[in-house]
Amino acid sequence: MMKQLLRFLLLNLVLVTGVAVVSNAESGDENRIDLIGKVVDHHYLDFKPLATVELPRLIYDNGRIHAYRSTTSLLNKSKLFTDAGYIDAEPVVQNGLIKPATYQIVRTDGTSPQFDFSITSHLVFFWIAAFLTFLIFIPLSLKYRKGIGRNSEPKGAFQNIFETLVVFIRDEIALQNIGSHKYMTFTPYLLTVFFFILFMNFFGLMPWGVSSTADITITAVLALFTFATTQIFATKDHWKHVFWFPGVPIPIKFILMPVELIGLFTKPFALCIRLFANMASGKILIMAILGTIFIFSDLFGPGVAYGTSWVWVFLTLFVYLIKALVGFIQAYVFTILSALFIGLAVADHSEEHAH
Amino acid sequence: MNPVFAQGLLDVDFGLFFWVLITFLLFLFLLTKFAWKPILNALGEREKAIKESLEAAEKAKEDAMRISKENEKALKKAESISQKMRKEAIEEAEALRADRAEKAKVEAEKLLDQARSTIEQEKKKALLELRAEVSKMAIEAASRILDEEIDEKRNKKIVDRYIKELNQATADS
Repeated sequence: MMKQLLRFLLLNLVLVTGVAVVSNAESGDENRIDLIGKVVDHHYLDFKPLATVELPRLIYDNGRIHAYRSTTSLLNKSKLFTDAGYIDAEPVVQNGLIKPATYQIVRTDGTSPQFDFSITSHLVFFWIAAFLTFLIFIPLSLKYRKGIGRNSEPKGAFQNIFETLVVFIRDEIALQNIGSHKYMTFTPYLLTVFFFILFMNFFGLMPWGVSSTADITITAVLALFTFATTQIFATKDHWKHVFWFPGVPIPIKFILMPVELIGLFTKPFALCIRLFANMASGKILIMAILGTIFIFSDLFGPGVAYGTSWVWVFLTLFVYLIKALVGFIQAYVFTILSALFIGLAVADHSEEHAH
Repeated sequence: MNPVFAQGLLDVDFGLFFWVLITFLLFLFLLTKFAWKPILNALGEREKAIKESLEAAEKAKEDAMRISKENEKALKKAESISQKMRKEAIEEAEALRADRAEKAKVEAEKLLDQARSTIEQEKKKALLELRAEVSKMAIEAASRILDEEIDEKRNKKIVDRYIKELNQATADS
């Protein structure tokens, strides 16, 4: 009985959410929440209902860099570019200023500019994560330079907490997966990746915060770094295992070669997708669950929505806690898998066989 | 309008890609140089120091144990030596005492013998003297008897007086 009810609810949730979002897009109603819009990148920082801060636009076109303070500024000052939404339609003017509609900047003839490298919300939060890492670990390193933690035990919660994390990554991730000969070369990279991802994940839990790791571009760059590291530091042995797998009959070698080659690329691809999907889904899930209250309000009236809202709020709280956990776990998983792939690439197999 | 689901979700934005790439490289470099290397070096140094001091402590403990064992051994040896010495001293003292007692006994015996022989000699001499004295007295008594003549009563008186004198003489002497 309970199970059937639950299934019915879930089915409704999926169908109705879809309908709601589609209708939102069609009607363009300002009061509707754009579910996917909460996850994708924007050219503004959303502090609704307080403010919306537009971010600078930087566009490279015809050998020149065009820099504007904001999208609004660009639309009002530039003769070369316009919003993609205003090619066919009349621009929306508010207080004598043209306001952006789609935030997608095109040339006045409707074609895309050569390179749009504007600052986006995900980038801002990526930078915040980077600066936070910097602001935490530079003072920490100064402490070590002074001798606290070098000649004595670490002092204070700040140093103890972050030292524990650093030692954890060095000993449990780098040393375990890469081996005692080479792990120190890669520990700085793993530490950087871990703390960047951790802080980016946690920013998604804050009010108005955005988790930049819910952007496939950012996870792709991180995965690319792991891929590049594995390829640059790969041993001769590693390439031998890729192209001419030792210890198997020759026909098998021919079968294994494409498999291994594909494997080279699927590893970073999986890294990229895993982190992105985990972080994006959490946010979508929270929005969808909270959205159920409003869908119920539409379908059954406000009374039912109020009556059942505690279920959704409780569920949201639960998902939120899971997200906090997932934020940590995914940072750990990305780091440990990176370490594992690097470890596989730099391993000296001849030495292992000798054991 | 664009399809709503997954709109822009899987798009790779090359502007963002460019920025993230540059930022990451920059911060990787800066953090490695100014944060991770100093921290990791300090941690490594500290761990090494701890390891070394632990090993030193272990070694010191072993040394102390060895020394204490040696001390114990030395003490035992000293004790045994002292015991032996004491035993020897006691034996020596015993021997000395026995020796002395023997000597003293011999000495005493000698003295006793001497005394005995002296006494014997004195006795012999005394006897000789006594004999001579007695014979002289007898002669004297006899000559007196002869001198005084017949009176028996008187004789007896003389003899008594003589004996009395004799007694007196012996008492006087």
